[in-house]
Amino acid sequence: MSREGYQIPTAQSSAPGASSTQVSRADDNMGTTMTYMCGDCGFKFPLKRQDNIRCIECGCRVLYKERTKRMVQFEAR
Amino acid sequence: MAPSSGRRLASRTKEEPEERKIVGINKETVTNTVSTDYPDNFIDEDHAWDVDYFRSKFRVEWHENNEHEAQFSLIGLDASIANAFRRILIAEIPTLAIEKVFMNNNTSVIQDEVLAHRLGLIPFTGGKKGIRDWMTYLSKDADGQDLCFDHNTVQLSLSVECTKNKDAKPDETDPTKLYHNAHVYARDIVFQPLGDQEKWFSGDDIIRPVNPDILIAKLRPPQVLDMDLHMHKGIGADHAKFSPVCTASYRLLPTITITKPILGDDAKKFQECFMPGTIKLEKVTRQEARQAGSGYEGHEGENKAVVANAMYDTVSREVLRHDEFQGKVKLGRKRDHFIFSIESSGQWDSDELFLESVKVMKQKVGKLRQLAVTMVTENSI
Ligand SMILES: [Zn+2]
Repeated sequence: MSREGYQIPTAQSSAPGASSTQVSRADDNMGTTMTYMCGDCGFKFPLKRQDNIRCIECGCRVLYKERTKRMVQFEAR
Repeated sequence: MAPSSGRRLASRTKEEPEERKIVGINKETVTNTVSTDYPDNFIDEDHAWDVDYFRSKFRVEWHENNEHEAQFSLIGLDASIANAFRRILIAEIPTLAIEKVFMNNNTSVIQDEVLAHRLGLIPFTGGKKGIRDWMTYLSKDADGQDLCFDHNTVQLSLSVECTKNKDAKPDETDPTKLYHNAHVYARDIVFQPLGDQEKWFSGDDIIRPVNPDILIAKLRPPQVLDMDLHMHKGIGADHAKFSPVCTASYRLLPTITITKPILGDDAKKFQECFMPGTIKLEKVTRQEARQAGSGYEGHEGENKAVVANAMYDTVSREVLRHDEFQGKVKLGRKRDHFIFSIESSGQWDSDELFLESVKVMKQKVGKLRQLAVTMVTENSI
């Protein structure tokens, strides 16, 4: 279904045909960051691959990844 | 013609005795449930189907006709036909419903697919002529790709953001006052006219939810819903959301026959065995009390139980549980009297729905007739 088409949002859009391992390695090298939200205080901040999984404001270890900005299609069934 | 061929003389009766049409309802059994009015079932009786005879016997009686609920009786037809109408009503009359959800954002606690499913079930209405005559089913191209046009797709949008209400009192606990858009209702869905749709769906005919107060989701700051919705035409056989009825059902007319007089306190108890309005109490008249063998002798002025309106009976059979009524009452149902109850979900009026079911049936019969004709002609070659 539509969920199969889901891809983790990346700063650069991956070209079709590029294998996923290549893409993620490229991301690592570039140090692409993702924005996360603290589960406790709600603070939004970017996090790199090596960073501690920890809120930089309050130290809470529960972080939420942001929802994809892409449109996702569903059948109303 | 040979006697075994089943052809009968014209003088043979078509009329079926009334008592044969009664389904017997007993304490623990139900008897006489199957139709018997077909050819060669009884000696000297012709029950071959005949359109003129059917016309002379068939009746329709209306009991209630509101916009969204209708009750009427179809009298003098077979269960197979009545059931066909019921099934067409539920599964084969087209309606417009949300079919695709393009989720741009949904940070509410309801999962995308659950929300999409909820949206699909919301009944919508709008300009009837536009929906029925102008709108068509979704078409697909050779590759199976949807071809969306103004005459087969209705676009809606739902875009709501929950925010804090700065004017709320500090001790406020009601979330609808504490926040803006804490509750998202069906009325928050906005119609986006495309192409010629303005012509068919504007003013009173705008595409809108039948019940604007349907709760879709509850939000808290800073949750957001943002989506585009596509409606298509479909039928209930495909998905229940396309069914134009909440319920479409029938029951057979109950019959209550009091075979021996029920008098005094027994009559009161008898009345209480049925739904209100089914049984009424009448005084035994002088004339009845004088008549020998009537069972009323010497009971002048006492209450007696009389059937007021058997239609109110739920056929609970409560009366059969009491010894004092043993052998005094006979319960049953009329096998050719169908009390239909149609509850519209809002896109059609309930009485239109039945007429539409007749139309669909006619189309199906027309198709079948053509097939039968080609089958006969092809075989004869
Ligand atoms: Zn935090």
